[in-house]
Amino acid sequence: MVETILSLILPGLGHLLRGEARAGWPFILAALVHLGIFLVALLRGKLAWVTGPGEYWFSSTVLYVILFLIWAGAPLDLRRRSRRRREREEYGRGYWEIVRGRFIRDKKGLTGATILLVVLYLALFAPFFSPYDPLRMDLKNFLSPPSRAHPFGTDNFGRDILSRVIYGSRVALGVGAAATIFNMILGGFLGLIAGYYRAASDAVIMRVLEIINSIPFLILALLVMSVFGSGIPQLIIVLGIFGIQPARIIRSEVLSVREEDYVMAGKALGGSDLRIILKHILPNSIASLMVVATMQIGVNIIVIAGLSFLGFGVKPPTPSWGAMLEQAFEYMRVAWWMAVFPGLAIVLTVFGFNILGDSLRDVLDPRLK
Amino acid sequence: MLSYVIRRLLQMGLVLLGVTILLFIIMKLAPGDPARIMAGMRGTPEVIEAIRHKLGLDRPLHVQYWRFLTELLTGKLESMTFHMPVKDLILQRLPATVELGFAGFLLAIIISIPAGIISALRRNSLIDYSVTTFALVGISTPVFWTALILMIFISVQLDLLPVCGRGETLWGWSILTLDGLKHLIIPAVALSSVLMAMNTRLTRASMLEVLRQDYITTARSKGLKEWVVILRHAFRNALLPVVTNAGMQFSEVLFAGAVLTETTTAWPGVGRLMFEAIARRDQTVVFGLTFLMAFGFVLFYLIVDILYAYIDPRITYD
Repeated sequence: MVETILSLILPGLGHLLRGEARAGWPFILAALVHLGIFLVALLRGKLAWVTGPGEYWFSSTVLYVILFLIWAGAPLDLRRRSRRRREREEYGRGYWEIVRGRFIRDKKGLTGATILLVVLYLALFAPFFSPYDPLRMDLKNFLSPPSRAHPFGTDNFGRDILSRVIYGSRVALGVGAAATIFNMILGGFLGLIAGYYRAASDAVIMRVLEIINSIPFLILALLVMSVFGSGIPQLIIVLGIFGIQPARIIRSEVLSVREEDYVMAGKALGGSDLRIILKHILPNSIASLMVVATMQIGVNIIVIAGLSFLGFGVKPPTPSWGAMLEQAFEYMRVAWWMAVFPGLAIVLTVFGFNILGDSLRDVLDPRLK
Repeated sequence: MLSYVIRRLLQMGLVLLGVTILLFIIMKLAPGDPARIMAGMRGTPEVIEAIRHKLGLDRPLHVQYWRFLTELLTGKLESMTFHMPVKDLILQRLPATVELGFAGFLLAIIISIPAGIISALRRNSLIDYSVTTFALVGISTPVFWTALILMIFISVQLDLLPVCGRGETLWGWSILTLDGLKHLIIPAVALSSVLMAMNTRLTRASMLEVLRQDYITTARSKGLKEWVVILRHAFRNALLPVVTNAGMQFSEVLFAGAVLTETTTAWPGVGRLMFEAIARRDQTVVFGLTFLMAFGFVLFYLIVDILYAYIDPRITYD
């Protein structure tokens, strides 16, 4: 009881009291980080509950939800722990517990996860972190090099580049993730069908994939975007439909899983195809799906940047890294800072996804144990 | 072997046919009337109708497709805005791209294979960590940004190399003149960066796999010199997966990379032509080029498959 009350004062204190410091620190740390963001937002007068500009409202809501989850999570976690201590002796460790243990010890994965967390937080709380409005022009101050007032300099309209880079993470992560979800649903569906049913559906799906695959992803996306017009919704749909190469990987995964004894047993027991796919094939393919999805977001972010750079992706004035580089290209001779910082943001984010994907592949694959 | 090649060629034809159908569908779904684009500003309804008739746009869809296909394959496709056949336009620009592609490809191979081998041999050393980190950063970096940064810092700030364009050429090749070579460096380095990074990772992973095998231990215990073991026993076997993956990813990266690099550095190749044609809404050039890229891709793939048999005598096709 005391522990629960303590964890309501500061999440994680209850864990410390019980001598489970390793489980408690993350809670304390998370609570402190979020309280810090809360304070920053409060001091800068950007915290808005229901009123205020839309972007403030979004960030504030997310912040409150996360704070609530941390506070509610700590006592719940305490309870779960006291229950599981008894169960552990009976059941041993499950697959995901083993994976988590391995992931925590993997420096590469932790680095990637940290980078991505930072980028994610910049995206979620962009209005709290960015020093200026990313769209506000200051024509007296255009193309000024990095200084104390503008750490990343200003662009040709006098807009603050640091603020635009921070806001750009919203587009990169948002569009990248949305397109990847599309990819995984569509590609996963096709891969499952092709791998599970084989025969005609397999042949047809594989031929279609071959056709799409024979045109480079960026070129195909460029072609379709140039024909049907650019913009964020179009970008998500086009990348979502044509980036279905994960279907290949999922198919080969399904092909190997469907030969396993437990699938045979499921069939012998009279399980329907849908049941076997949902209960056996999908859970056993989830590991490789996670790896593929992580890598695919990185690819999508690069393609989005490339398309925007060529002028067929995200339209200005929406701050996106690719479109910022397009402008930087025009002012190449006078303003190096316009090109350097958005590009570094792309590299850092994609690097984060790539090392996280690399590490997940090592961690999730039981064959390498 | 011959029957395998023939079967693959048939398959290749089928894929390319699919590509033309896909392109035709996109072309038909596109909003905007191509006749209007061709007529330009002075287009009266009569002129547009005449162009429409000349292009066969008033005929049924399957007739239009057949016309599109035959024109594409016989090279009679006419550009909508450049006022010349697409074939001539491409032939005019192709040498520049071939040159850039080869330069980038060679640069990537020359650096990545030794880097991958050394990194695998010195596993978990400082060299290995720097090579793998560098390669990871490399695959995360968009080629156009690499090109842009090189242009800004090497050409504009330090004034060491020309900013853009192709420079002097001799018999159509810029590598033969000093000025042309200077122009080639930045685009080639930018284009090769991703290839280099990818290939380093592949070579390293593949070498690590092979070095675990028993025959490497046997070769070493026979008292063979280390370099013989590495090059003749390990590397030759490690090459196989490198060639497969490289074949597939290289052409993808090379074509998409060419469009981005050439556009950034104003290299007058087909990649830049692609961008220009898209900007001018010149559909026939865009589709002709896309078809060419798809053709290049499947051809590359076939060559890789056949190369296989030469690299690895264990593989036979029948």
